[in-house]
Amino acid sequence: MPAKPIVRVKNVHKFFTRGSERLDVLNGLSLDVAEGEFLGLMGPSGSGKTTLLNLIAGLDRPSSGEVLIGNDRVSAMSEGQLASWRTRSVGFIFQFYHLLPVLSAYENVELPLLLLPLSSSERKKQVTTALELVGLTDRMKHRPGQLSGGQQQRVGIARAIVTDPLLIVADEPTGDLDARSADEILDLLGELRQALKKTILLVTHDPRAAQRADRVLHLDKGRLVEAAEVVG
Amino acid sequence: MKLFLLIARNVRRSYVRSGLTVLGTMVLVFVMTLVWSILAFLGDAMAEKSSNFKAIVTERWQIPSQMPFAYADSLSQGAATKPDDVRPTDSMTWQFYGGTTEKGTRTRENTVFAFGMQPSKINTMMDDLDSLPAKEAAELQAVIDKLESNRQGLILGRDRLAALKKQVGDRITLYGINYKDIDLEFEIVGTVPAGRYDNNAFFNRDYLLAAIDQYNDKHTDPHPLTEKSLNLVWLRVPDAETLRKVTAQIDSSSDYTNPQVKCETQSSGISAFMEAYSGLIWAMKYVLSPVIFVTLALVIATAISIAVRERRTELAVMKVLGFRPWQLLLLVLGEATLLGLIGGGLSAAATYVVVNIVMGGLKFQIGFFAAFFIPAAAIGWGLALGGGAALLGSVMPAFAARSVKVAEVFSKVA
Repeated sequence: MPAKPIVRVKNVHKFFTRGSERLDVLNGLSLDVAEGEFLGLMGPSGSGKTTLLNLIAGLDRPSSGEVLIGNDRVSAMSEGQLASWRTRSVGFIFQFYHLLPVLSAYENVELPLLLLPLSSSERKKQVTTALELVGLTDRMKHRPGQLSGGQQQRVGIARAIVTDPLLIVADEPTGDLDARSADEILDLLGELRQALKKTILLVTHDPRAAQRADRVLHLDKGRLVEAAEVVG
Repeated sequence: MKLFLLIARNVRRSYVRSGLTVLGTMVLVFVMTLVWSILAFLGDAMAEKSSNFKAIVTERWQIPSQMPFAYADSLSQGAATKPDDVRPTDSMTWQFYGGTTEKGTRTRENTVFAFGMQPSKINTMMDDLDSLPAKEAAELQAVIDKLESNRQGLILGRDRLAALKKQVGDRITLYGINYKDIDLEFEIVGTVPAGRYDNNAFFNRDYLLAAIDQYNDKHTDPHPLTEKSLNLVWLRVPDAETLRKVTAQIDSSSDYTNPQVKCETQSSGISAFMEAYSGLIWAMKYVLSPVIFVTLALVIATAISIAVRERRTELAVMKVLGFRPWQLLLLVLGEATLLGLIGGGLSAAATYVVVNIVMGGLKFQIGFFAAFFIPAAAIGWGLALGGGAALLGSVMPAFAARSVKVAEVFSKVA
């Protein structure tokens, strides 16, 4: 495992309140993820996987503790700073793809670039490169409804990498796909990781998906209960 | 620009919903345009003009004004008696005659409201008829010539002619409503150009005066309206100073004591006449207009709220990608405003074309205004009304979109 951590989660607590009831989701969790590492997060429903992912990706703030990504203290950023940081630093891959149905594949991939100070030709170059990497240059004018599930997820991956982020977070990226498409997506993630040297955090229930990771962490009731080095 | 493209694409997302929202906007903007056009027309008619305006001389203390016809000539001269007295540049007299084509039966279709006046004044003093395009002016002049040569001639508005089921050249008898027992036989010699006089008629005043004389010759007692047949005298003056002098001449004259008369600007005269309709106008301004505006805002708010609710996940994804809350707010406000502008603009433009060109004016009788036209400014009203109501109606849904909590949305999706 490379030594330099790019993600540092320090003694993070996260609780939610429902009426008068307090729900503790993460309990003093600490975690380091090295630059270029492919980390798998597994655990039963309600174990805190997605909450941890949301904290690392700057979608939520911890109740206490710190989250650092590279040199940025994410847990201390304002909502506006987080939005800007997310655009530049994090690429998201969702289980249900979440592409905008009114936009073409090209436009969906271009969407996060619209928030950056790039010229039209710069955006075009980056979008084309991202679509080439996922093998969808021949489908760039198609709307999501005209693509298969696997193709839509490829567009989702292209959207995640188009800003050249530090970190890619994937929440059950194969959860809505058949076995063959799931394998293709996992192969693609592996290839991208090799080619782009990206740090990838993968939340999954699927042991076969987890096998692709360098390291798999198991969460239960808001704590890391086990860590295993995975070979291959 | 990029945000605008996204707005345009989102509007195209559901043709049915966007179409229905635009349609709802169009219906309400249509009603509002009609109401505002009437109000604007009346407002313009009652607004004081600075030059080349008209003054009205009426009975001072009574509405409707009923003066002796003996006042007509001197009032038409602005009561000028001395060489250095000021005179109007033009004038006309009005004598109202209402009649039906069937004796004893009065219906909307068989009733005619006619102005008795000097034929030559129809195209020099009557509003709108004094500023016709050359072709229409020539056609009207030909009809006026017939009225000059045929004392029993009658010029009818097009709608009235159609309502009576008559044609130019036909003869009709009008049985007097206000001039009881004075019936007039007319030959229809032509029509006035389409517009505000579509439901009115014009005839030679000499015919009415002769008919009153004839009645008085045959009866012991004179007709009750014998000394009350002059309703209004119109004077055209070049400026306010001339009007002031003419008014002073009329006020100081001893010729108009029984009854007394007053001279005022056309706008003041119309305002006084329109006082009877003040309740209706007030309701149009302060009840109908706000109700329509609020209804329009609610229609748009409902449609946009549904759209935002359906797209919460999508909005959350945009937040995840880095869109700021204010950008999502603008996105929703922009979508609603675009729909409002499209609906409002289309509706106002269509109303302008249909009412002015296809229908030849909105036939809605208020006082002696029988038809109203949609001003060109209505296109601007439609855009402002549609856009404004949409903006107002979309504020709440836009804030809902702005406040979408990413973690909550995705926990529900998962």
